Amino acid sequence: MKSRKILHMDLDAFFCSVEELRDPSLKGKPFAVGGPAETRGVISTASYAARKFGVHSAMPTGRALRLCPGLILVSSFHGQYEEMSKKVMAIVGDFTPLVETLSIDEAFLDISDLPETPLQIARNLQTRINDETKLPCSIGGATNMLVAKIANDFGKHQHKEPTPPNAITIVEPGMEETFLAPLPVDALWGVGPKTAERLIRMGIRTIGDITRHTEEEMIQHFGRSGKELLDHARGIDDRVVQVEHTAKSISQETTFDVDINDRNILLQTLKRQSSQVGSQLRRQGFTAKTIRLKIRWDNFETHTRQVSLESPTNHDSVIMQSAIDLFLRIWSEGRKVRLIGVGASQLNQEPVQMSLLDTTTQKEDRLLRSVDELRQKFGNLAVYRGYDIHQKKH
Amino acid sequence: MKTNVYQQQLAHGLGIVSKAVAARSTLPVLSNVLLATDDGRLRLSATNLEVGITCWIGAQIIEDGSITVPARTLADLVSTLPGDTVSLDLNTQTQTLNVKCGSSSTDIKGLDAQEFPPMPVPELDDAVELNVADFREMIQQVAFCASNDDARPALQGVSVTLSGNTITMAATDGFRISVRKSSLSTPVPQTLSAIIPARAMIELSRIAGDSGDVVKMVIPQGRGQVIFHLPDVELASQLIDANFPDYKLIIPQSYKTRTILPTSALLKACRQAEVIARDSNNVIRLEIINNENEPGRVEVQATSEETGASEIILDASVDGPALPIAFNVRFLREVLDVIKTPNVVIETTSNNSPGVIRPVNDDSFLHVIMPMHLG
Repeated sequence: MKSRKILHMDLDAFFCSVEELRDPSLKGKPFAVGGPAETRGVISTASYAARKFGVHSAMPTGRALRLCPGLILVSSFHGQYEEMSKKVMAIVGDFTPLVETLSIDEAFLDISDLPETPLQIARNLQTRINDETKLPCSIGGATNMLVAKIANDFGKHQHKEPTPPNAITIVEPGMEETFLAPLPVDALWGVGPKTAERLIRMGIRTIGDITRHTEEEMIQHFGRSGKELLDHARGIDDRVVQVEHTAKSISQETTFDVDINDRNILLQTLKRQSSQVGSQLRRQGFTAKTIRLKIRWDNFETHTRQVSLESPTNHDSVIMQSAIDLFLRIWSEGRKVRLIGVGASQLNQEPVQMSLLDTTTQKEDRLLRSVDELRQKFGNLAVYRGYDIHQKKH
Repeated sequence: MKTNVYQQQLAHGLGIVSKAVAARSTLPVLSNVLLATDDGRLRLSATNLEVGITCWIGAQIIEDGSITVPARTLADLVSTLPGDTVSLDLNTQTQTLNVKCGSSSTDIKGLDAQEFPPMPVPELDDAVELNVADFREMIQQVAFCASNDDARPALQGVSVTLSGNTITMAATDGFRISVRKSSLSTPVPQTLSAIIPARAMIELSRIAGDSGDVVKMVIPQGRGQVIFHLPDVELASQLIDANFPDYKLIIPQSYKTRTILPTSALLKACRQAEVIARDSNNVIRLEIINNENEPGRVEVQATSEETGASEIILDASVDGPALPIAFNVRFLREVLDVIKTPNVVIETTSNNSPGVIRPVNDDSFLHVIMPMHLG
């Protein structure tokens, strides 16, 4: 089989970079995008200057302020993140249609069919993103997605200055196993603290240590995932870049700064996303017949599940219930989630059949119409659901 | 078992019971039809455990006995046989049924009749007697509204209520509801209500077409079943154990605009509009127009982005303010199909509240449809 060429592109401290563009005085200063300490806010991204103080994403803001007393906090509300992300992804799309968008600031590209070397393409891509969007980005390249991603993370960490890394790291074909060997086991997808602990008890610390075990031994210890672990440690990964078809749909996705296995946080996220999807549907005069849940586990394995509704909806509660039902069917306790999202498709602008029995639907209709009006007048935070208040208090 | 029957009667009987044969079942015997000699007649039974149908046909019994054979095999075979005497001869040793007619002889492998689920036997003393013609019309006017949604079992049935000398049937799929009343020849001692699967009711109205004038209905206490008895046929069905929506609360008690139209003209207009509307979510708009000093009218409009647009103007007697209201044209067409009076009334209040459709001068039937609305 012909060897593939895969790139992994990741925008450096994306939210912070966007904020710096908005307010150039932030450049070089320790600052972070996140919620204020009073409301138990969490840092979503820290600038590279702030990272020097040990501030990192998913850290409670209170702790970040203790580590770095001069930390400037920027609220994420006025971010133009989506807009900037679209610009970047448009540039990525100019290189190849084979793009798998992982999140707002991250994508895989399959460039196997392009004549240039991965390094040349990575350089061109980086230059265009730097020039056209003024955003720094790092790129990893290899013969598969696993190694490309690890290469990129590795390259970024090699950069020790308080500036964005803007790194390019390419692993040449045949060098995958050698490249991975000295890295700690938790650099591999799917190796969380628990697996790492078990590996350490077996005397395995580096990825290279794994390859010294036979397949039988690994299966004996880790079941089916033992084989996968060994394959990955050898730099083998057959997954293909999955291009998402842009069928007409409305969706909301969240990539967590740290992988989440707290069911409540996931459910809260789904609820928030469902309201956002509902509100977008109503604003555009749509109803949706299909509700979709997307979930990406910490090993990048991605699933989508969808359900067809009996009658089309644009109600937050129906979207929410469908999304939660889908989630609970796929959710397994303890497993970590990297990304979760809710989507609505089979959109329709035709009138919908109202229900004779379900008068709550009509009530919710009136409620949502009022809420939408209030939000339009006074902003998105003018009214919110009870569970959001609850979340903010604790 | 050894018996002779007429091919036409056997084919007819198999046609009646075959509707209850399980289409796909893990129990092989449910794909079979039971043949049993019964008091000088041949009994044919089939069941899918939800609905069971038994039919008796005249037969010359030479030797009593019973067997089950694959329903499809037997029915397909019998339909190809000449209109002559068919002799059925069971080899009990091999559980094989020999079917002989003229020069044709076929052996069909069967399964022991003992494996066939017992069919309930009704206590006809407790039966409520219903006029077949009335009963069929009631089912026809109501059962089409039932839902196919497995998630809402109550809506898959027809609610049947017997109280005093009135029988009421209702069915709804959550978007529309049909309610039909009729009177009983003898009052029932106590109020009785049950939800009967719409599929069973539709099957019953099909069977009852050519079998006698009176159908007897029995709902044995605590068995969760209903049995309908006709002279040569019995249909037993499981009842749906769920709560039927309190439809009296749904039926609007008042209206603002009352529009009277010729039933057939409106039905024709719906059929024409449906040709366009079926490509756009089945939506049609009724513009109910009531201007001073000119006769009232209703404009039936359908628009589809791909297909085109249609407008049909109907003269109408309109009492009350003008109103545009959108309906699913299929719902409207289906109810107009079962209204027998020459004129029909549409009572409306607003474009997002239910519309009531009634036959003029006939209080026994009413239908409520929820309009369509942009969410």
